[in-house]
Amino acid sequence: MNPFMKRSDIVKATGATMLGLVVVFPIYYAFSASFFTIGEFSTYPPTLFPSTLSLVNYIRALTESMLARFMVNSLVVSLVGSLLRMIVAILAAFAVAFLKFKGKQLLFFLVLGTMMLPGDALIIENYLTISRLGLVDSYLGIMSVYLLAPVQMFMLRQSFKTIPLTYRESAAIDGCSDFKFLTSIVLPMSRPIVLTLSLHSFVTIWNTYLWPLLVTNNPEMRTVQVGITMLGYADSLDYGPIFAAISLLLLPSIIIFLLMRKKIVEGIASGAIVG
Amino acid sequence: MEKRSARMKKTLSPYLYFVPALVLAYLFSYHPFFKTIANSLSLVNFSGKIIEFVGLENFQSLFTDRNFQTSLVNTFRFALFFIPIDLVFCLVCALLVYRKRRFNALNETLFIMPMAVAMSSAALVFKAIFNPTIGVVNHLFGISIQWFNDPAWAMFTIVFLGVWMAMGLDFLLLVGALRSVPKHIVEAAEIEGAGPVAKFFRIQLPLISPTILFIVSTRLRDSMLLSGPVMVMTSGGPYRSTQTLVYQMYIEGFTAGNYSKGSAISVVVFVLTFLLILLAFRFERKGVFYQ
Amino acid sequence: MNIHTHMKRTFSLTLLLITVVLFAAGPLFGAGGMETTSATGDSGPVTVEFWHSNSGLLGEAMTELVAHFNATVGTEKAIVVQEIYQGKAADVATKLRAGLQANRAQDLPDLAQLDATGVMDVRDSSMMVSVQTLVESDPDFSLDVLQPGTVLSMTYKGKLIGMPFNASTILLYYNKDAFREAGLDPERPPRTLAELADYAGKLVTYASDGKTVVQYGFAGVPTTYELVSWIGQQHGVSYLTDKSNGHDGNPTKVVFDSEGTLATFLDEWRKVYASGGLGNLTSDVRQQFIAGKTAMFATSTSSLATVIDSVGDRFELGAGYFPMVNSESTGGVNIGGGAIFVFENHNDPGKKAAWEFLKYLMSAESQLFWHQKTGYFPVNLGTYRLPEFKEHIAKNPLFKVAIDQLNDSNPGIQSVWWPNSYQAYFEIQNGILEMLEKGLGTEETVEKLSSVLNRYMDEYNRMNKE
Repeated sequence: MNPFMKRSDIVKATGATMLGLVVVFPIYYAFSASFFTIGEFSTYPPTLFPSTLSLVNYIRALTESMLARFMVNSLVVSLVGSLLRMIVAILAAFAVAFLKFKGKQLLFFLVLGTMMLPGDALIIENYLTISRLGLVDSYLGIMSVYLLAPVQMFMLRQSFKTIPLTYRESAAIDGCSDFKFLTSIVLPMSRPIVLTLSLHSFVTIWNTYLWPLLVTNNPEMRTVQVGITMLGYADSLDYGPIFAAISLLLLPSIIIFLLMRKKIVEGIASGAIVG
Repeated sequence: MEKRSARMKKTLSPYLYFVPALVLAYLFSYHPFFKTIANSLSLVNFSGKIIEFVGLENFQSLFTDRNFQTSLVNTFRFALFFIPIDLVFCLVCALLVYRKRRFNALNETLFIMPMAVAMSSAALVFKAIFNPTIGVVNHLFGISIQWFNDPAWAMFTIVFLGVWMAMGLDFLLLVGALRSVPKHIVEAAEIEGAGPVAKFFRIQLPLISPTILFIVSTRLRDSMLLSGPVMVMTSGGPYRSTQTLVYQMYIEGFTAGNYSKGSAISVVVFVLTFLLILLAFRFERKGVFYQ
Repeated sequence: MNIHTHMKRTFSLTLLLITVVLFAAGPLFGAGGMETTSATGDSGPVTVEFWHSNSGLLGEAMTELVAHFNATVGTEKAIVVQEIYQGKAADVATKLRAGLQANRAQDLPDLAQLDATGVMDVRDSSMMVSVQTLVESDPDFSLDVLQPGTVLSMTYKGKLIGMPFNASTILLYYNKDAFREAGLDPERPPRTLAELADYAGKLVTYASDGKTVVQYGFAGVPTTYELVSWIGQQHGVSYLTDKSNGHDGNPTKVVFDSEGTLATFLDEWRKVYASGGLGNLTSDVRQQFIAGKTAMFATSTSSLATVIDSVGDRFELGAGYFPMVNSESTGGVNIGGGAIFVFENHNDPGKKAAWEFLKYLMSAESQLFWHQKTGYFPVNLGTYRLPEFKEHIAKNPLFKVAIDQLNDSNPGIQSVWWPNSYQAYFEIQNGILEMLEKGLGTEETVEKLSSVLNRYMDEYNRMNKE
């Protein structure tokens, strides 16, 4: 390709960069505002650059709130939740793709059909279920409604189906059980899609807001998404610690995002990540 | 005896793979779904007990309730602004960078960066930058809009947040679609002297239209379920101008303790999303992705 | 192929995973997890979970009160209070409702601070422990030490249901510098709505285009909170609904239509709008006042300390009585704010520990501290006799205005306890805004508001028989 860019390309690239800067402005602002003093939030005209790079807001965010604890909670819930979610989906998808049994189609569609019932509209009744199970203020309560992912089960099934049946036959001849076949042949062969879906699951659970808000009463159990909206500084125009908390949350997300960029783009291109 | 039990196990074992999924489907989808339908057809007291079956009465009163009409209108009003702005913006971004050129990888990264930000953080940041007194948006654009006090504008803060949150994914889908338009068709058009506008409308747009339709239908469905940003940014205000269906459902069910009404709204949301999911399936089957 | 072993493996794997989950979570699993520090005796301290809605300066004051309790009375009597900020007052009520609805004591706190909007949710619940019974079981405590108006404000069917810990009234806040610039006497705030209209018209300023408002005279859209005073102060005492604003039982209909009180108010409010100086703002009004975008606004006395702190030396701050509807409306203002409610929760049998904490909060010293740090007025009459209180009032005349206004008000004016209070709040706001901006008639507005609010009460009463 021509090493020199055409004029129209330069115009396009400049335009794109300018749009891109508008897009990342809120992220920039969050980092910038995390260094503001109280006074800088209420000056007029508003400032865009902090006058100092003092870490006082960060220290306050970490010491005056349970931010660290919120992050641990989110991490546990997202990690364990996405792991369980993948196990449930893999087991079901495997049975649909490889095993023969009566009513398979019915069961499959019964599980797949849940995607027609958006969780947000079921939240009142689901709260009651969790409460009756005594799972309010527990990790299991927070992750419960995310453990079934019908779309992911469907995608895994599609992926499993591309594995030639001859593998299964020869495995059976070798005396390999169904479960062993799943763990030692199917899963290794499906590693890319499993990884992509796990990543997506992790992000989905990490980002949820309304459900964890409902099922946690104790601050020690709050996830970080809920926790940062309840820091309670905004009342006295004391936004510094809020932005410090947001920045603390953003920094690892952005780093991981940049490292995983390729994987995410591929996942979307292959249709494994939708919404 | 032993043989029989071994055979039983053999017939049973495939089902066991399905048990976790089925239990979860029952507990967190079907059970609450049927319970919601039952509630929507009954009078339910403050402690959640059904006291009387009333048929469609709740729906009748729902549709004559101005408050609900507001939610319905607002939900569609959101979709009406959100989807076109999202599409046009993402298309412009995609058209600028879909050809692999220097800097485009960087620009692409800028466009998809919002994907790294969770809704509640983003909502807090948007709430601050649109704040009429301390916010920088008014200042940077030299305007003085009371974003959160003016019913005409408040919805736009939610729309902008929605676009910002959705654009990473939608941009990538569109870039992917543009890149999969066969080169020779585009080049042929260029040789025939088609300008960039004609090239876009005559060649690229028709070829990426399945992707566009897919985005529209999934985003329509998302719009029907909008609630989180409303909760963090506006609490439905000012004057209910940002109160959406799911937000009202939450208010009726949890804050006001009116389960009959809350459940009736849920059922409306089910119907709307069901129709839109069907729509999405249609487009998906037509082969949205070229890969 | 040995199905048996593979089945076993599937399940031992699942089981293993679940166990790992449970143990990874370890002690964090389940509610509470409050570490106990001062174990006295075998049983260890009793934990009292307290949900509240205080943030900012109010939150700091609350934290300090709790810490002081835990270090003194708590240490002595083996009680640890865990204070939990649950968001705004409406959020506390929502959380509580969820727990009450599922009827699970373990999802409830021992104590929760609620404002008037949440009272209806809890007052008939079997999970609530009426404060009256706790008071009666303690010979060392008498309701006589409490400001009588505050006790009345939390009395339902003759019983004290919640402890009126954070009592406040509405107060007019104004910018004295803006008054001077407009040629108004900064020491004489408006006393009636007609005067408010006059002042607002004089205080409003425009940008060079002559159209864009730079500073409103007054900002805010009246809703439930303002109406309980503006309706309540008419004819000595008036109510929005029957059953004395719901203090004698579940309200069944509004009475502000038949008594003409709403119409009287709306006619006066129209004048304020007609002055051109009224900003119909509903969000961040306090912030806009501090930023100089409105010369006056009205909010709870509980914001006094925060407003003083945020205004700093930007301008000279004034506080005045909440303007009367007209010169015949002499009732004054309603005692609002909130109260602490007690709930069944197996942490604390007999609610002994929770009661100790409540008594501490109600002491003359705690109430003084709380008053100084926030602007809520002292509920304990003993506080008013403390020399520190007299000194504080002398040094901070704005606090005195708030207390004088309280003493000049009729304690019969009550907050409204009605169903769907959250929705009613917006209905009133929308109704008034529509009247002003779309030019609806007073009668039409009264009719519209009455019918929608009556419908809420009908719906509730039909579903919940008393």
